[in-house]
Amino acid sequence: MFFKNYRTVIFICAAVVAALILLSYSLKYASGTGMVKKLVLEAAASVQIFFNIPVERTKSAWTRYIHLVGLEEDNRKLRQTVAELQAQLILYQEGRLEADRLRQLLSLQQEYQHSFLAARVIGKEQGAFSRSLWINKGSAHGLKPGMPVMVSQGVIGRITDISWHNSKVMLLIDQSSNVDALIQRTRAQGIVRGAGTRDCVMRYVSKTQDVREGDLVLTSGLSNIFPRGLLIGRVSHVGRTDFGLFLQINVVPFADFASIEEVMVVTGVPVQDLAGEKTVK
Amino acid sequence: MIYYLLLPFAGIVLVVFQNTLANVLFSGWLTLELSLVLVIYAGFRLDALKGAVLAFVTGFAFDCVSGAPAGLFAIIYLLIFIFSFFVSLRFAAEKLALITVFSLACSLIESALLLAVYYFVFKFENLGDMLFAFILQALLVSFLSAGAFYMMHKMERFFHGQTRQFPRRAAAGRISAQA
Repeated sequence: MFFKNYRTVIFICAAVVAALILLSYSLKYASGTGMVKKLVLEAAASVQIFFNIPVERTKSAWTRYIHLVGLEEDNRKLRQTVAELQAQLILYQEGRLEADRLRQLLSLQQEYQHSFLAARVIGKEQGAFSRSLWINKGSAHGLKPGMPVMVSQGVIGRITDISWHNSKVMLLIDQSSNVDALIQRTRAQGIVRGAGTRDCVMRYVSKTQDVREGDLVLTSGLSNIFPRGLLIGRVSHVGRTDFGLFLQINVVPFADFASIEEVMVVTGVPVQDLAGEKTVK
Repeated sequence: MIYYLLLPFAGIVLVVFQNTLANVLFSGWLTLELSLVLVIYAGFRLDALKGAVLAFVTGFAFDCVSGAPAGLFAIIYLLIFIFSFFVSLRFAAEKLALITVFSLACSLIESALLLAVYYFVFKFENLGDMLFAFILQALLVSFLSAGAFYMMHKMERFFHGQTRQFPRRAAAGRISAQA
């Protein structure tokens, strides 16, 4: 009867006493490897393995995510750096190309004993009948209509219209352009005229003259406009017809008119380079 | 009977789970004592026999897994269970503020007992460094207890239509949550 009434209390007291004995025993004999403990540890290890699977997967996924976040950030920075370096590289390339072009233009002064003024091309006109350039120098810089304009490869045209700070250059290939010229090898004289898309033609060269493909064409200096000896181009075709007095000569200018960015205007010419005039222009 | 058969396995699973969770969340710096929350809950909700067995088994499993001397957590959990049991005769489990404070007290008592054992029996020094961790742990347990009691209260209402009242706990002098 007593046991039935106080069963719970007795049990709890027994549990406390058992725990105390267990604690005392484990404190006194710290072997810690009893059978029950071994069973618990065995079971706990299995459960631990079970719990570790999602934990390890989550850790792995999280680590990869962090790694990917870092990669994305690195990638963004690298792309930005590449873009900046590419922009710098383009600037340097442009600078080097510009320096090359200017060096070639300056070599004109050593090659010819003329006075030059450098100018930058600021516009192009590519009409059906006219081919011209706009340059950023004008009368304020001492330019006058008729002055020859050159690049390192040779003459490209002459100034036709002028304002204070800009000038219009009529190109050799403009159909209104006429330049007194001669064949370097035979000294045969004629007039190089623009032919638009067909570059230039050389007119008024007699059939009796010896002109061949590949001959160099230079300015003759007979007019008051171009000094003698400036390179114009090369003979690309010589046509001989049964009728007419003159040869049909096609001339390809040395200059590439599509890619001109800087030019040199001939502002002064030594007297000996002018065949028809005694003054220095 | 099935309760007593499954209890050891459930206790081991719970202890291993709380250790794994603590390792993931706090890198082992703090112990997430869900087992203590369970023991407090048992003190308020289970009958004395079932609760005492639960406290003893869970404590013993914790001893084995944590590497503490066998019986240390078993007796601490048993004492906390008995303390909770007697407190539950006077206070209702629905009062969450009370549960929070009580759990905080239980956790601090547990920490004090542990410190005492390690200081007097094992002659450990520099236990003051562990005080901060124990205080944080006590706060954590108190909030977890409040959450656990609230969830269990909701579940009991969901399954039984109202909060279960054990006959033993219907003492005349208890303070109701609705009071």
